[in-house]
Amino acid sequence: MIELAQALSTDPVLLENGPAIENAGMAALAVGLAAFGAGYAERGIGAAAVGAIAEDRGMLGPGIVLTVLPETLVIFAIVVIFLV
Amino acid sequence: MRDLELGRTFQQTNGSSNLEYVNARVRARRAALFDDDDYRKMIRMGIGEIARFMEETEYQREMNALGARYDGVDLIEYALNQNLAKHFHDLLTWADGMLYEQIAAYLRKFDAWNAKTAIRGIYSGADAEEIEDDFISAGEFDEAFLASLSTADSVEAAVELLEGTIFGEVLEPALVEYQETDVLVPIENAIDRAFYEHLMDGLRGSETTQAQQLYAEFLEAEIDFRNARNALRVAFSGADIDHSEFFIEGGVLFDRADIQSLLTEPGALADHIAESRYGERLADALVAVREAESLIAFERALEAAILEYSDRLANVNPLAVTSVLAYILAKEREVENIRAIARGREVGLSEQEIEEELVII
Repeated sequence: MIELAQALSTDPVLLENGPAIENAGMAALAVGLAAFGAGYAERGIGAAAVGAIAEDRGMLGPGIVLTVLPETLVIFAIVVIFLV
Repeated sequence: MRDLELGRTFQQTNGSSNLEYVNARVRARRAALFDDDDYRKMIRMGIGEIARFMEETEYQREMNALGARYDGVDLIEYALNQNLAKHFHDLLTWADGMLYEQIAAYLRKFDAWNAKTAIRGIYSGADAEEIEDDFISAGEFDEAFLASLSTADSVEAAVELLEGTIFGEVLEPALVEYQETDVLVPIENAIDRAFYEHLMDGLRGSETTQAQQLYAEFLEAEIDFRNARNALRVAFSGADIDHSEFFIEGGVLFDRADIQSLLTEPGALADHIAESRYGERLADALVAVREAESLIAFERALEAAILEYSDRLANVNPLAVTSVLAYILAKEREVENIRAIARGREVGLSEQEIEEELVII
C-alpha cells in the first residue's frame, strides 16, 4: 500500500503541474457534450415528426427540417475547435 | 400479460411513455375531425346523402365493409361505432409505458358500455347477434369475452362472467338488489361507478409532475360534470330519489353530504356550480338553466363546456396524456353528432331541432 502511494507520488504525469486535460481535449469534450444535447433534443422531435408523417405524408419535408434543427448546436460547438 | 379467463387484451408494456409520438399523431387526427361547416352541410342532407358524404371521408373503409349487411341509418351507426373502435384501438397500439396505462384506464369506459349493453340486451330478451352488433370493442374486453357475454342466458350469468373484472366487486350487492326489485338501475349504476372510481388507477404513486396534475384535473372534471348532470336530471324530474345512489366519488365539485341539500332546488345547484372553478366556463349554460329551465339545453352546454375545458387542459402542457383524452372526447362527440343528425333526419326533425341536438365548439 505504502509502496503504491510512493509510486503514485513520484509518477511524472501526476507531478507535472499542468492541467489534466489540455485545451484541445477540452474542446473535443465540449463538442461531444453539445452533440449529446443535440441528440437528446432530436429524440423527442424525431418521434413527433415520425408521428406527424405517419398521419400525413406531406409532413415529410417539415419533419426532417425540424428534426435536424438541434444539429445547429453542434455546429456552434465546432466553432470552439477553431478557437483553441 | 394476457389473461384469457378475464377476457383482457390490455397488456403490460415496457419502457417509458412515448408522448411525443402519440401527441403528434393524436393532434393530426384531432385536426381532421369534422368541423361546424361539415355539420351544417350534413344537416341539410338526406340519409342517403349523409351515407355518401361519409363514404368520401374518414369513414370510407367502414362504410364499404358494412355496406352489404346494413343500409340507411343502421349502416351509418355501425360504421361510426366501428370507426370509433378502430381509432381508439390505434391509440393503444401506439402508446407505451405509463401513457398506455392511463389511456387504457380511460378506455374502460367502453367496457362499461359493453357490459351495460349486454345486460340490457339479455334483460330485454334480445338475441346474441343483436347484442353483439351494439358492442363497441374499444375497451379491455376482447372479442371472445364479448361473445360469451352476449350469449349469457340470464342477467345473473352475465354478472358472473364479469366477476374478476373491475366491475365484479360492485356488481355483487347490485345483483342482490336487482333480484329483489327486478329493475336494472342498481346494476347500471354500479357499473358506471366502478368505471369512474377506477379511473384514478392510472395515477400511480405520489409523483406530482405537472402532467400528472393535469391528468388528475381532467378526470376530476369529468366526474364533476357527470355528477352535475345526474344531479340536474334528478332535480328537474322532481322525483324524490336518494341522490347518493348515483353519486360518483373522486370529484371536487360536490361531496356526498351536500349534494342532497343542493338538490332541493335547481337554483341552489346552479349557484354552487357558478362558485366552483368551472363557473366562468359554464356561465352561459347556467344562465340557460336558470331562465329556460330546459334540461336539454343545459346538458348540451355542459358537454360543450367539458370539451372546451379538455381542450384547454390539452394545450397547457403539450406533452401530457390530456391531449389524448381530449381527442377521445372530441371523437366521441363527433360520432354522437353524426348519429344525432342521421337519427334526426330519419324521424323528420327540422334543421333547427337537429342543430339544437348537436354539440359544436
